[in-house]
Amino acid sequence: MSTTSQMLKGLLEGSLLALIAKGETYGYEIIEKLKEHHFAVVSEGSIYPVLMRLQKNNFVTSVQRKSPSGPKRKYYSITKEGEEELERFKQHWNKVSSGVSSLLEEEE
Amino acid sequence: MLSKQANQFLIELKMYLISKGKNDQEIHGVINELSDHLLQAEAAGKNIEDIVGDSPRAYMKSIGQEMGFDIRQFLILTPMTALLLMAYICFAPAILGEFSLSKLGVLGAIAGAVLSIILYGFLLVRVLPKMFYSKWFYIVIGLTYMLLIGFFVFVNLFDKEPFFIATPLQSNIVLLGCILVFITWAIYSKTWISIIIPIFISFGPIAGRFIPEHINEDPFYITLAIIFGILGLVILFYFLFKNEKEKSIS
Repeated sequence: MSTTSQMLKGLLEGSLLALIAKGETYGYEIIEKLKEHHFAVVSEGSIYPVLMRLQKNNFVTSVQRKSPSGPKRKYYSITKEGEEELERFKQHWNKVSSGVSSLLEEEE
Repeated sequence: MLSKQANQFLIELKMYLISKGKNDQEIHGVINELSDHLLQAEAAGKNIEDIVGDSPRAYMKSIGQEMGFDIRQFLILTPMTALLLMAYICFAPAILGEFSLSKLGVLGAIAGAVLSIILYGFLLVRVLPKMFYSKWFYIVIGLTYMLLIGFFVFVNLFDKEPFFIATPLQSNIVLLGCILVFITWAIYSKTWISIIIPIFISFGPIAGRFIPEHINEDPFYITLAIIFGILGLVILFYFLFKNEKEKSIS
């Protein structure tokens, strides 16, 4: 696995939470939104284990609803606990990213 | 409509999760979600590799890790599978009213059951999924079928001393038991297969038990039975196929 994909894997959980926080969404739409943000996922399916984990930890809830194309579709939305977790993720990210950036700048 | 590879992957995933004792509803949920995703992705011209990555097995594992082991379901499913196997074995003799137990038969059935449980996990996860949609699948099914028939022929030839011979009433009770098992399975698994197979098995024995001897040997009736049998099969497969098609369209 390349360094990039290793890094992205760790960030996927928080990023998905951030996406779901913007409004109710479903699997395929999440992938499209990630791509709009140029967030390169390892493989499209890799979001599902993460979504399952988020749901298990009560950070998101889901409802089944009929999709325009026919079969039932699982729509995710964020919970109160999820919002708190997202806040923690943002703080961690800011700390880590500013630390790494300043380190890298120093090297140049 | 999903591609062959996508369907294949979903079958493999389902079998993998079942064999790991995951919860039925959760399995159903994740399979639904993934097939919805695959449907849209393939319509957009993407490959299965874009979705599951380079190693489908690693991907399956990553999904399995997020699901709990459902002990209750495992405890129900294992004895129910054993019951279903027994019902298949007892069904034909019970219709004929010739249900009997012999040492060799019972031992063989027990050995078969133990062996099948050992092979169960291995076959379900490693072997069967790879064979779906390939000619090997049909060869293995054919071989298993031949082995089973061979076993019954063997028992019939060498095992002439049953220690228990059922009265007609007992045979009918066994028959009733078998039918109950088939129906329970069909309801539980939500498939018709555990009812369709016994119907096929029952043709011969029913004819043997209920049709008078002279009609049984009349070439006219034999021809008639063959023609109706083939017609019935064609109609059955037509409906099965139609069902499948509707399922994959929706």
